[in-house]
Amino acid sequence: MDDSKHNLNIKPRNMTEIDFTACPECDLLLNPAAPDVGDKAHCPRCGYLLQRPRKQSVERTFALSIAGLILMFPANLMPLVGIKILGNTKDGTLWSGVVALFEEHLWGVAVLVFLSSIVFPLLNIILSLLISAHLYFNKPNRYLASWMRWLQHMDEWAMLEVYMLGIIVACVKLASTSELKFGFGLYAFVALLIIAGMLATSLDKVLFWRQIGQLRKEK
Amino acid sequence: MKSKMTALTQGLIRCHDCGCLSKQADKNRLCPLCGDRLHPRIPNSFQRTAALLLSAFCLYIPANIFPIMTITSLGVGEPHTIIGGIIELLNSNMVPIALLVLVASILVPLLKLLGISLLLLNVHYRWQAHAKKWTILYRIIAFVGRWSMLDIFMISILVSLVDMGGVAQVIAGPAATAFAAVVVLTMFAAKNFDPRLLWDNQR
Repeated sequence: MDDSKHNLNIKPRNMTEIDFTACPECDLLLNPAAPDVGDKAHCPRCGYLLQRPRKQSVERTFALSIAGLILMFPANLMPLVGIKILGNTKDGTLWSGVVALFEEHLWGVAVLVFLSSIVFPLLNIILSLLISAHLYFNKPNRYLASWMRWLQHMDEWAMLEVYMLGIIVACVKLASTSELKFGFGLYAFVALLIIAGMLATSLDKVLFWRQIGQLRKEK
Repeated sequence: MKSKMTALTQGLIRCHDCGCLSKQADKNRLCPLCGDRLHPRIPNSFQRTAALLLSAFCLYIPANIFPIMTITSLGVGEPHTIIGGIIELLNSNMVPIALLVLVASILVPLLKLLGISLLLLNVHYRWQAHAKKWTILYRIIAFVGRWSMLDIFMISILVSLVDMGGVAQVIAGPAATAFAAVVVLTMFAAKNFDPRLLWDNQR
């Protein structure tokens, strides 16, 4: 097994199959590592984390994305934080922040906030759900690979955890001058945040791509 | 010897999205697994990154000199810039939060702008030493990018909550757009930078 690393005469067994992988960040040619659950495979040259297998990756992703989809509703629709200044009260939701920016004619910022706090987190969860459901039930679908690609590209644009930090900073700024009250939406939002974090770690991209490839071959 | 065995030198192309390898001869085709276009490196990575970075540098100036928001209470209040907001937090004894905002909205964008410039210089002048350290710099830049959105989200929350006409009001300023653009442009710049360029000139 290990010898083939030093003996790189690449002769694929057939024209479409190549038994190597390459590191995405330094392009080093590698034997496909198969780390055990709980272990990590790093690139020997640049240290890139190649794979970190998780127990029951598909099942967990499926379950977590259903939970996330349910939590999306209260987190988006119910008030996150309420404020009371000199008798005036006001509730804030994710959506009201977007609307307020729109009303001040900062449409660029409004669109950015809308995308990164509502659209991309939602799409992220929906795509994870679709992909893991298809893999769980072994159903081939010709869009699977495209979904997986979109999911990978929109990963970093879903910024729930940054939004949470924004809420904290805003609350600290307001705490001295006004009364704050935390709505049910905030608890749902925190739960959604935790679910999204767990989703990101449970989704093993290498395994998912391999399974997508297998499903395609079976078809 | 081992360090030279990259996919490219062995005539293989790694798909950007799904990671499967194809032979160089197939480079005009689509990836057999995911259907993405095959490129050995991100096309025009250097030029794209440089263009995005230059635009970000230009917008960094208005983002810092124009007011980012105006807080008025009972009709009085004045606009302040990003730095002004941090000073105000310091004056009201909220040091940890002031540090957080300082890191997220001043240090991180600056680190990204300078860091990506250094990475581009490295690629252009083919500095060969310490490729691993440069890759770590790239990873830090890519990871840290999204956290600068903190200020934008905070403004969005403040603007929607504190909207009580004469009693108290927060109005976002023109710097918000510029700052958001800096964050987005630097994120795109980091995404378009191909870290494999740092390794391609290894002897």
